[in-house]
Amino acid sequence: MGCLIILTQQNLIKKVIGINVMETSIFLFFLAIGNIIPGGPPIVRPGMEEVIYVNPLPQALILTGIVVSFSVTAFALAITVSLYRFYGTVYVDELMKMR
Amino acid sequence: MVLFPLICAFLMPIMAYFKKEVCSYITLAITGIVFFIASYLAFVVIPGRSFVFHIGHWEAPWGIELVVDPLSALMISTITAFCFLIALFSIKTVRMEVPLDKTGWYYTAYLLLLTGMLGLMLTNDIFNMYVMVEITGICAVALVLARGTKEATEASLKYLLLAVIGSGFILFAIGFLYSVTGNLNLDYIAAELGLVKEYYPYLVWTAMGFFLVGFGIKAALFPLHLWLPDAHSSAPYASSALLSGLVVKVYIISLVRIFYQVFGPDMLTGTPMGTLILILSSMAIVGGSIFAYTQLDLKRRLAYSTVAQVGYIFLGLGLGTSWGLVAALLHVVIHAFMKVGLFMVAGTVYFQTGKKNVLYFSGLGRIMPVSMGAFTIASLSMIGIPLFGGFISKYALAQGSMEVEGYGFVALVVLSGLLNASYYLPIVWQAFFTEEKRETFHLDMVPLSMMAPLLAVTLGLVYLGVTPGRMMTMVENAASVLMFGP
Repeated sequence: MGCLIILTQQNLIKKVIGINVMETSIFLFFLAIGNIIPGGPPIVRPGMEEVIYVNPLPQALILTGIVVSFSVTAFALAITVSLYRFYGTVYVDELMKMR
Repeated sequence: MVLFPLICAFLMPIMAYFKKEVCSYITLAITGIVFFIASYLAFVVIPGRSFVFHIGHWEAPWGIELVVDPLSALMISTITAFCFLIALFSIKTVRMEVPLDKTGWYYTAYLLLLTGMLGLMLTNDIFNMYVMVEITGICAVALVLARGTKEATEASLKYLLLAVIGSGFILFAIGFLYSVTGNLNLDYIAAELGLVKEYYPYLVWTAMGFFLVGFGIKAALFPLHLWLPDAHSSAPYASSALLSGLVVKVYIISLVRIFYQVFGPDMLTGTPMGTLILILSSMAIVGGSIFAYTQLDLKRRLAYSTVAQVGYIFLGLGLGTSWGLVAALLHVVIHAFMKVGLFMVAGTVYFQTGKKNVLYFSGLGRIMPVSMGAFTIASLSMIGIPLFGGFISKYALAQGSMEVEGYGFVALVVLSGLLNASYYLPIVWQAFFTEEKRETFHLDMVPLSMMAPLLAVTLGLVYLGVTPGRMMTMVENAASVLMFGP
C-alpha cells in the first residue's frame, strides 16, 4: 500500500509519508508473526516466571527498523526541502516540466 | 576491524570543525590502514579456511557472527583497496566539486559507507545484514547529494525513495524467513529451511522473490535500475566511482550469499527464479548497452554501462552452475577495476578541461595521453579483448553458459561485447585519431594524487588480464564454499 503511495502520488511530501506507511506496515507484519495467542507482554516479574509470553525478538528487530525508518524519513524530508528551494514546488509534474 | 572506520567516521566532523583541509588526508590514512587489515585477513583465508568471530562473545545462535570466508575476504580486500584508491583520487576532486564547509561531512559519509559495506560483507546474521544495507544505502545517497546542485538533489531523492522501497522488500523477506525458521544466523536459517522447506513452498518462493526485488532495486537490475543513471551522473566523480564500482556490487554479493547460503543452489534451478533472473539479466545487458549508446554525457554513458554489467553478473548467477558463479564473482571484481578506472578518467578529463560531453572529446588523446590511454585499456577490457581483465570474466561466463547448453547466452555475451564496443570505441577513436591542430604530446596537467590511483587501477586491470592465477584461485575458493558448504 505504501509502495502505491510512493509511486502514484504527485506531492513529494505525500511520497515521504508513503515511505513511512510502508515501513510501518512491515513492522506490524513482524509483530503479527511474533504473537502467541495466550501470551502476555514479555516482562519477567519475580515469582511469575512460567507465564507464556510473546516472543520479544521481533520487537527488538522492529525497534531497529523504526530507528532506520525515522532517519530515512528525516533525510528524505531534508532533501525535499532543498528541492523546494531550488524549484519552488513540491509537485512532481511541475518538477518534470521545469527541468 | 569493522568498528575502526565507524569510530573514525564519527570523529570526522570534529576534525572538520577545526581544520577543513586535513579531512581528506586523514580519510586516506584510515582507508590505508583498513586495507592492510583486510589484505592480511584475505591472506589468512586463501588456503580455504574460514574464520569466525562472535560479537560480544555471545555464541551463535544468540549472538551475531562475523565470518571471514573466502567470499568475504575477496570482497573486503576489493572494497578496501578501492576505497583507499578513490580516497586518494578524491583529495583534489572533492575540493573542486563539494562546497568547502561540507568536505568534512563528505568524508564522514565516505567512511560510514566503508563501514557499511565491510559490515555487509562480513556478517553472518540476517538482521545485521539488513542494518548494514541501510547504513550503506543512506551513506550512498548522501555521497550522491554532496554536490548540492539541482540534478544531484533530484537524483538523490529518487535514489533514496527507491532504495527505501528496496529495503522494505528485503525486510519483508527477512520477516518471512524468520516466521518460518525462527533463526537469524544465516547458517542456522539454512539448516532450518532445509527441514521445513516442503511445508511452505509458496512462502519460500515469495521470500526469494522479495529478496530479488529488494536487492535488485539497490543493485540496479533491469528494470529496477531507473535511479542509477541520474544518481551516478550527478554525483561527484569520486562518489560515482565508488557507487558504480562497489556499492551496487555489495548488494549483489549479499543476494548471492542469501541465495546460496540460505536457500541452497538447487533453489535457483528448481524454481522459476533462475529463469527469471536469466531473462532480466539478458534484457539488462542489451537494454543497458543500447541506452548507453545514446547518451552524450560521459558519466551517464558509464552509468548505463554499469546497468549492462550488472546484467552480466546476474546472468552468471542465473545460470546456476559453478562456472556461472565464478564468472559472476570475477566480473564483480574486474568490473570494479574497469568502472573505477573509467570514472577516474572522466574525473581527470573534467579536472583539466571541464568537458563532460562526449562529442567534445576529439583530440584529447594528445593533451591527455595517460588518461585516454587508461580509458582505452579499460574500454578494451569492457569489450572483452584478451590480455585484459574483461576477457577472463566473459570467458568464464561463456563457459558457464555452455555447461547448461544455453548457446543463446554465449551468443548474447559475444553480441554484447560488440554493443559495448559501439559506445566505448568512438570515444577512444575521437580522442586519438581525429584532426586537431596539436602536434606535440603534452602530459596531463593533472595532479599526481589523481593520476596515481588511475594508473594503479589500470595496471591492476592489465595484470589481472595477463596473469589471473591468484585471483582465480580466490574466486574459485569463494564459489566452491558457496556452493558446496565450508
